[in-house]
Amino acid sequence: MSKTRVGVYICHCGVNIKSTVDVTKLTEFASKLPHVSVAKDYIYLCSDPGQELIKNDINEFNLNRIVVAACSPRMHEPTFRKALRSAGINPYCLEIANIREHCSWVHEDIEKATKKAESILAATVAKASLLEPLEEKEVDVIPTALVLGGGIAGIQAALDIADTGFKVYLVEKDPSIGGHMMQLDKTFPTLDCSACILTPKMSDVGNHPNIELLTYSEITNVGGYVGNFKVTIKKKPRYIIEDKCNGCGNCISYCPIEMPDPFNLNLSKTKCLYIPFPQAVPACFVIDPDYCRYTLNRECKQCEPVCKELGAIDLKQKEQFIEVDVGTIIVATGFDTFDPTLKPELGYGLYPNVITGLEFERLSSASGPTTGDVMINGKKPKNVVFIHCVGSRDKTVGNEYCSRVCCMYTAKQAHLIKDKIPDAKVTVFYIDVRAFGKGFEEFYDRVKQEGIIYRRGNVAEVYKRGEKLVVKAEDTLLGQLVEVETDLVVLAVGMVPRADSNTVNNLLKLSQSSDKFLLEAHPKLRPVDTASDGIFLAGCCQGPKDIPDTVAQASAAASKACIPLSQGKVRTEAQVAQVNDLLCRGCGFCVEVCPYDAIELKPTVIAGETVDVASVNEVLCKGCGACVAACLSGAIQQKSFTDEQLLSMIASLGESYE
Amino acid sequence: MSEFEPNIVAFLCNWCSYAGADLTGTTRTHYPPTVKVIRVMCTGRVNPLFVLQALRQGADGVLISGCHPGECHYLKGNFLARRRFLLMKNLLEYIGINPSRIRMSWVSASEGKKFADVITEVTEDIKKLGPLKSFKREIL
Amino acid sequence: MSEEAERLAYILRDPLFPCIQCGKCTGSCPISVISPHFNIRKLLYEILNSEGEDIAQKKEMLWDCSTCTTCVVRCPKEVDPADLIISMRSVLVEDGQVPPKIRDVLKSISIRGNPWNIGQEKRSEWAEGLEIKSIADAEILYYVGCTVAFDPRLQKIAKALAKTLAKAGINFGTLGNDEVCCGNEIRRMGDIWSFDALKEMNIEMFKQFPIKQIITSSPHCYNTFKNEYTELGIEVKHYTQIIPDLIKKKKLSFSKKFEKTVTYHDPCFLGRQNQIFDEPRDILKSIPSLNFVEMDRTRERALCCEGGGGRMWIEAYETMERTATIRVKEALDCGAEILATACPFCLLTLEDAVKSGELEDKIQILDIVEIVSQVID
Repeated sequence: MSKTRVGVYICHCGVNIKSTVDVTKLTEFASKLPHVSVAKDYIYLCSDPGQELIKNDINEFNLNRIVVAACSPRMHEPTFRKALRSAGINPYCLEIANIREHCSWVHEDIEKATKKAESILAATVAKASLLEPLEEKEVDVIPTALVLGGGIAGIQAALDIADTGFKVYLVEKDPSIGGHMMQLDKTFPTLDCSACILTPKMSDVGNHPNIELLTYSEITNVGGYVGNFKVTIKKKPRYIIEDKCNGCGNCISYCPIEMPDPFNLNLSKTKCLYIPFPQAVPACFVIDPDYCRYTLNRECKQCEPVCKELGAIDLKQKEQFIEVDVGTIIVATGFDTFDPTLKPELGYGLYPNVITGLEFERLSSASGPTTGDVMINGKKPKNVVFIHCVGSRDKTVGNEYCSRVCCMYTAKQAHLIKDKIPDAKVTVFYIDVRAFGKGFEEFYDRVKQEGIIYRRGNVAEVYKRGEKLVVKAEDTLLGQLVEVETDLVVLAVGMVPRADSNTVNNLLKLSQSSDKFLLEAHPKLRPVDTASDGIFLAGCCQGPKDIPDTVAQASAAASKACIPLSQGKVRTEAQVAQVNDLLCRGCGFCVEVCPYDAIELKPTVIAGETVDVASVNEVLCKGCGACVAACLSGAIQQKSFTDEQLLSMIASLGESYE
Repeated sequence: MSEFEPNIVAFLCNWCSYAGADLTGTTRTHYPPTVKVIRVMCTGRVNPLFVLQALRQGADGVLISGCHPGECHYLKGNFLARRRFLLMKNLLEYIGINPSRIRMSWVSASEGKKFADVITEVTEDIKKLGPLKSFKREIL
Repeated sequence: MSEEAERLAYILRDPLFPCIQCGKCTGSCPISVISPHFNIRKLLYEILNSEGEDIAQKKEMLWDCSTCTTCVVRCPKEVDPADLIISMRSVLVEDGQVPPKIRDVLKSISIRGNPWNIGQEKRSEWAEGLEIKSIADAEILYYVGCTVAFDPRLQKIAKALAKTLAKAGINFGTLGNDEVCCGNEIRRMGDIWSFDALKEMNIEMFKQFPIKQIITSSPHCYNTFKNEYTELGIEVKHYTQIIPDLIKKKKLSFSKKFEKTVTYHDPCFLGRQNQIFDEPRDILKSIPSLNFVEMDRTRERALCCEGGGGRMWIEAYETMERTATIRVKEALDCGAEILATACPFCLLTLEDAVKSGELEDKIQILDIVEIVSQVID
């Protein structure tokens, strides 16, 4: 290869770098470093003129290695790689010196920051001059997606991908799709009936030729990489054969066992042979094995003969494992509602007339246990108190975030009370009312107009006085303690990550943000991507949001997931491990440490003798470098992170302070 | 002479700690300018040789920081790193270098504040130990 | 005002900035119920909007707080209003601007080593006729505490606990007349300087003996030893923590019945501040024939009796009713004949409420260990 000629480009990033790092001094320092042919600084290197500057210099000075001292490589490495490619040199001959996030933004002293920037830059140049051009390989993408979770987010994402023309596996852990949205009565601020707007989409999913619906199923293993994921799905036995059940329901009356109805949040009973709700998709019954006398004790079996004609009941059904190959994955696993027993002062779990907002939805819904009459102990409440921010904005329970939906769903529920019980006195205790969305403030105005009292104060306690409950708070606008006697307390519980979210996160190797919701690749610019290529987020698994935001995000995730599917090819990791056959002693340490089974020992003829030599499957290798650190003879190296390259950085960083 | 400013080399994994350090910058949280970062894709890549060479060639301390246990982007790289790290500590003690000069931490991509805290702590620790003089390259 | 006090007053503001004025603190405050002028949220707001120098001087109601910490544990933004009160009191203490009764307590502490202005020679009066070892001959220290040692009513607690420990074969001893105040209340009255001195003195004294464990009869002593004597290095237990274990290991067995309906009042310094909720209930529930009932507000929701934070010595600035009176009513409402507790201060305030309400024939206040000592023969 020709002589190493490094070009160094130092970005001011407006004043972001320049105000703390002396860029002129840094440029002068860079120009004296070994192998450096040219060093320049520029106000915004990521801008078009900035990139042009680099491209022109590559041609003019015949540069073959580029160092950009700017922001984090996690920001603009792809940008500058493209610039290198278009200037005709290998995109991997680029190294970024992070002098913004790791230097100018975290230090104040200009002299010290400049000195640190110098040593970062020197080390980067040392590594850059040892970089080798790399080749990216392309592999075919399996033109299929998997959507995890069948709530409104998963439904929307699956439909969008399927309508684009790709096959979708929609995996839902419950017996029917629909999720939380199906449990809601009306939706704010338009007061649309939630089920009425959701069920057409659900039936679209059920009938779509491109969607394969896997309900009552969970993923148990995920392997592979973008374009070629291999996902194992466990289909739990529902003891009803899906293809045979026509949903007629003749069997129900024969089932002798009652259990709390999960769809109604245990507010009513259902048979343990049940359909979650009338519009369920698939319209197929299910038997709960925790209650069924046959699955528990091998007795009963009263349902089986009833379905003789169709033969849909199969009490011996076993769980099934299905393996599917998909190109991209969308995670839409949703949320749990906050458990208010963690706020003991509010009396949830102690007093039956303290309920959560979601329980209120079931009470208010025509499909709920009271067919839409809000009743407590068989009576219509005359006084109702709503309490905001239960489990949100609250460090005592570790949830610092605002759940974004509670202000408005409370306003809606307060309206529903007034609608159903016009003479009821409704009081809402709030800290702040956040009516930020389209039509929200108008709706809040309307609700207040209806005579609902908003009192500012974070409720301190709920306790009993005779038959009544007493809600005690400081009305902070009056500066006085108030006690409100009431028949019903509704807690505006917030959203929390799914209790079992760790299982899914670990399978997919997804990170969480500090609120424990799933972490997007960039909070502003890549809000539906994850750090793992080919895996996208939709809905409340990423953070609390309302239905319109969820649907928008789901469509965004779907279009993102379709990109690799439409392209048909993805580039594989270029910075993979590589073996020098002559140095390898065949010990197999690398094979042991590789997390992806990407290395195997293969008999190879070396100098006339057949010996075992490690061999890397470049498609499976993810480029972590664990094998390199394990190799005793230095035979295995990670491209762009070789021992030689990293040791040159270490030496440079050491010397800079001698 | 001004106060001793230690020279610390940090190996950060790309997915958690490097991203965490980026977040420290984004949120403008300040920490001492003592640490220079070498980015690796995974802490599992950190060869014990790197630590020895860093100390030998002028660093007063070494920090290795990766994803929290169980959250490694590459499944188990941070466990490999932790095992190697413990062995490294023994080795350093054996050759007469205070093992407190090397430190391992877990900093996730969302823990910008923690990264600044770790750097501040490491800097204070190494300041107390003073410059590393006994391990010049002629000894090896 | 001294410079030091000014500085103290000023630094109060920093930890208050996260406050969102939601009112959870005032709403939760037991004192606000009976003393409407005491509004901690408002105080916080005033401090946030003041220059901070002299605000403590204007607040007579500062001495109302019983430091129960309901506001602290419930604050959604982790602000510590109780700490603010203590800091403000310390400004007044340093400045000498304290109510006469508080001044007497602080004086008694510095002269006599206890807040009750009683000679230390009377400290082990309760033990007369009992064979109580000196800690020099034992391995577990029973730290009696000032109020239990000097108050004739509370001395029964000390006797009952000594009897129970002896019965269980525990090798315990006391410091006799050498015991000095733990300082929990003193610190909460704002005299952080006397507290530091007491702490140093106590740790010094404990170190002279090979003490394996300290057992206290008061949750207040327990709290400060456990949480504020950071250099102590000795395991500290409130007695309710050890008795369930003694029962389980059959070192204590109950030979008599206790045929009464009993409820339990959670002392703030045991429950709310140290999460000891189950152990006292476990003891009561294991007593033969005892019918245990709960009040409506229990555990984290329990109502403070107003006995802490110096309130044993001083009345609230302007008060309508005692919370202890409300508490006794709640106990009667749930059908209890005995209102049990595990704190000497709670016992005194609740008993006062019973007396002033002339309810002696309806309900009796007992410490748990008094019940225990009645059912072991």
